[in-house]
Amino acid sequence: MPAIPLSIEGQVAAMKAGWPKLVGRRIDRRRQSARWIGPVRPQYTNYTLEIRYCLGMWPEVRVVAPTLIRLPGNSEGELPHVYPPADDPILCLFDPRESEWTPDMAIAHTTVPWSLDWLACYEHWLMTGRWTGGGHHVGPLLLIPETSS
Amino acid sequence: MNTKFSPDGLNPFDDPLDRILAEIALSIQLPPSLHEQAKGRYEAVRRHLEATTAFHDQIEHFYPQGSMTIDATISTRGTDDEYDLDIVTQLGDRFRNLPPLAILRELKVAFSDYPVQKVLRQTRCVTLFYADKMHLDVTPALRVYGTLDRESEITHAKGPRPSGDDRLVNMNAYGFANWYRDRTPVELRLAKAFQLRWLEEAGRIRADADVDDVPDQCDFIVKNTATLALQLIKRFRNIRYANYAGRIPPSVMLSYFAGLAAQPNMSLTAMVIRLASWIFGEIERASIYGRKLHVANPVCPDDVFTDRWPESVAQQNEFAGHLNMLVQSLEQMRKGELLPDAMMGELRANFGDRVVTRAADQIAAEVGQGIQQSRQRYTRRGGLIWPTDAAAPAIMPASATARPHTFFGLKI
Repeated sequence: MPAIPLSIEGQVAAMKAGWPKLVGRRIDRRRQSARWIGPVRPQYTNYTLEIRYCLGMWPEVRVVAPTLIRLPGNSEGELPHVYPPADDPILCLFDPRESEWTPDMAIAHTTVPWSLDWLACYEHWLMTGRWTGGGHHVGPLLLIPETSS
Repeated sequence: MNTKFSPDGLNPFDDPLDRILAEIALSIQLPPSLHEQAKGRYEAVRRHLEATTAFHDQIEHFYPQGSMTIDATISTRGTDDEYDLDIVTQLGDRFRNLPPLAILRELKVAFSDYPVQKVLRQTRCVTLFYADKMHLDVTPALRVYGTLDRESEITHAKGPRPSGDDRLVNMNAYGFANWYRDRTPVELRLAKAFQLRWLEEAGRIRADADVDDVPDQCDFIVKNTATLALQLIKRFRNIRYANYAGRIPPSVMLSYFAGLAAQPNMSLTAMVIRLASWIFGEIERASIYGRKLHVANPVCPDDVFTDRWPESVAQQNEFAGHLNMLVQSLEQMRKGELLPDAMMGELRANFGDRVVTRAADQIAAEVGQGIQQSRQRYTRRGGLIWPTDAAAPAIMPASATARPHTFFGLKI
């Protein structure tokens, strides 16, 4: 039996308790959607992170500032482990084929810490040219039907 | 000698920026294996000298001086793997009537058949060059009786002929080392973290071993944050003056300031900033009055650390300018204002390309592995930490874990 999705109220409460600096905006209980934005500093640099979520879809995480740097010619691509569009990339934090994230999970306990992991790997990728956090890159066909808009 | 212990100190491997600086320091330090080798060489040199006719029964004391005595040795300027070490040989009565140049010549002759690549007479010492790039300076000294323990005069003679500038110079390296050690006691948490890191480096211990696995009674190579900061400032000086032909700010002067600036329980980054700012302030105060910096041995006022540098106010201002840039750069990093690639550029410019690259590679591998094994924790302010025994709950009162995950998606 599939698990019961966590309501937007539940997501908001978990975010407030776990990540007080990520402030909830546009919390729409009717549409069961929300947006959180705030500062993080996983390792060396300050970032502003934005998370958008609508119940039934995957959470979308963007780095609002500073602009993510590309490394042309890098073996991991100019920017690894993201979803398009290229000019507004969404961080790709889990393997959907393995159901690593499902709607019954709290974003506060999954998406946010995973985003910090991504940023830590991104920082060291910029510093060394190597993505050391593991993961899988796939072709676009596998992604498009499954991503939220 | 009894080892002094201060409050535990901070583990520099707990904070991301401190961790990079600590890894850089680790790369430039005299490795424990060479530390042991150096001690063996001291003994061998002493035995050799005592077996010669000229020095038989004429060595009153034979002891290390300089960075080795305060565990602050780093690679020689312009290198990443060469080390200069110093010994003082306190000579007996036979040498009291000899002029400085004659003493230095006798010392060189005594080493003429010594199994090293080269023996070179310098202005104040004789240097032995080993095949593995270690250089050992043997400085002859004559005890000044009626003064503090081991206060001595050392030879100063440029050669090759005697000159009016030849003289004996007052010094008390032994007393200075004791002064420095008194002001920079062991910070146990830091010392253990470094000991563990060195054992990891040597492949003698698992990377994830508990800090408690490291024996308490070990010959610590890294004792406290102030000395780590000193090593980084010395490295910074070596890089800034890599292509400079003249004299550079002397290590002993930097050590003196590190002794003054030392303060327990500071982060490594904060300590480097504090030390650099301290030296900058001292230079600024001297320059305002148009004076050259004057720094003397705190236990021997006639032992002037700045007797050969600076040669001018402009020269000291140049160093102050370098230090100011270092402080600004580290402050920006500490505030999280620099992007990682820009931070690497600054670190490379300040501490050298190879050691910074090595530090980043090491940390990137560990961080990536930690994330893949879900060993990281998260602070409520959006930071990542890797718990160590030293990062006790007091430091991370509110940290969380997360379930494992796999990065996915496209290469854009």
